[in-house]
Amino acid sequence: MDWGRVKFFLGEVLRNFTRNASMQATAIGTVAITIVLLGLFLFVRAALAGMGAHLLDQIEISAYLKADAAPAQVLAIRHFLTADPRIASVTFVPKKQGLAELRDRTKGVIDTALLTENPLPDKFRVKVHIPEEVPAVAAGIRRLDGIENVVYGQTIVARLLQLGVVLRRVGIGVIVVFLAVAGIIISNTIRLTVFARRREISIMQLVGATNLYIRIPFICEGLLDGLIGALLAVGILAIARATLWPRLLEALPWVQLNTSAISPAMLVAELFAVGGAVGIVASWISVGRHLRT
Amino acid sequence: MISLRNVSLIYPNGVHALDNVNLEIAKGEFVFLVGHSGTGKSSLLRLLYREARPTAGEIILDGIRVDRLRRQRVPALRRHLGVVFQDYKLLVDKTVWENVAFAMQVTGAHTRDVMRQVPRVLDLVGLSHKSRMYPGELSGGEQQRSAIARALVNNPKILLCDEPTGNLDPSNTSEIMELLLRINLKGTTVVVATHNQAVVDRMRRRVVRLENGRIVTDEERGYYYLGLGQGQILSG
Ligand SMILES: Nc1ncnc2c1ncn2[C@@H]1O[C@H](COP(=O)(O)OP(=O)(O)OP(=O)(O)O)[C@@H](O)[C@H]1O
Ligand SMILES: [Mg+2]
Repeated sequence: MDWGRVKFFLGEVLRNFTRNASMQATAIGTVAITIVLLGLFLFVRAALAGMGAHLLDQIEISAYLKADAAPAQVLAIRHFLTADPRIASVTFVPKKQGLAELRDRTKGVIDTALLTENPLPDKFRVKVHIPEEVPAVAAGIRRLDGIENVVYGQTIVARLLQLGVVLRRVGIGVIVVFLAVAGIIISNTIRLTVFARRREISIMQLVGATNLYIRIPFICEGLLDGLIGALLAVGILAIARATLWPRLLEALPWVQLNTSAISPAMLVAELFAVGGAVGIVASWISVGRHLRT
Repeated sequence: MISLRNVSLIYPNGVHALDNVNLEIAKGEFVFLVGHSGTGKSSLLRLLYREARPTAGEIILDGIRVDRLRRQRVPALRRHLGVVFQDYKLLVDKTVWENVAFAMQVTGAHTRDVMRQVPRVLDLVGLSHKSRMYPGELSGGEQQRSAIARALVNNPKILLCDEPTGNLDPSNTSEIMELLLRINLKGTTVVVATHNQAVVDRMRRRVVRLENGRIVTDEERGYYYLGLGQGQILSG
């Protein structure tokens, strides 16, 4: 190991980095804000996805039987349902129990005592393994003989499934925009240091330094901007998690936020990786532009 | 060592800086490049260290076709060349020692070699005692000597100087010229573009004269003005 070389090299990087402290601060600050937003976004997305999954898990299909369905038909339907591998559970709900459940659910809203006779048919309550398969399974059941109607909260399921797709698309879009903003700002900072050091660069080129060698200190500078920004962002996110999060849960007790799917270590690693990568790419591009001319 | 064959250079703005130049410089020669301002002296040097490429013609340096050199190979070429300018081009926030070492360090040289080479060239230019000073603390002559030390630190075979004494008084000018001569005597090929008539006339070296981008005369032991020394002009 040639320590003299390492020392020279680190000295160059440090010199770059401290030369324009206010610019560096701006770059780091912007990266930090960007990464905080990115972190929040990833977190919210995971939480909403968790919530959506939770809601979808509760979705069940109600298959109402025709009032005149023969017992043999009902048995055939049950056999058909239990044989379907996509279906997790099948429960027969006689109309009496259905009314009791309805009464419970609508207590204070509808006075079921006013009903002179039970308007509900018998039904099968069907749970499916994978929420995405609910519509197909329901359609299959609807075609069976002896089935009057199939209900599963069609709109809710459709909305949730759609929401998942939209979230994924918006998520990728937002992340791309955030990264572009951070990249542009780092790249501008590096361009300014490159400009401040253009004499040095031209002398380096004159004495035969390779472009890679000229580049490396600037790449390190960009990397430092990205990593320090990420460090700040992770700090801010950690503080927010510790202080604001419990209060949010308290304030919104009805929100089913499921964040267990988020691994903090993974998230932190991702944010650092993103910060570093943006720094490297941005500085590589802005130095390259200078060296080409 | 250096040869230009039918070299022409037209800048993008249409200026014909060099027009069909043919020049051969042998290993170990000391050559002055003279001519009026704007006749293409700097342009010719720029072609040699590949700061510019000729519009036409061949340029061969130590067997290398410089005009055809791929961009990735330019750093390697420049390590075989030393280049010195009128404005020294030193880094003001580095000491003399650091400025000279810089030229080796940025080529990825080993510290061992840097520690050996830098004192050697600083001794050669007579600046060992000022190696810890910054360019701002040095006279023009000392700054130019630092720049020469830097140009020499990678052991180039060729030293190119563009108006090296342009900013210096006569005594500093003499010192620099003596230094260049000493470097030449150690075997380095030296090419000096200059306006300094006194220097050219005193040293009586090969003089290549440019006019409007063409070589008009090339004398073995020449004067600044064709065939005439300074004294002769004054007396005539
Ligand atoms: N980068 C450039 N782009 C366009 N034209 C240029 C460029 N550099 C020089 N020229 C033109 O080319 C011609 C030769 O310039 P050059 O600098 O080689 O002259 P010179 O002999 O070194 O002059 P001086 O003695 O004043 O230094 C001039 O007309 C100049 O204006
Ligand atoms: Mg010139």
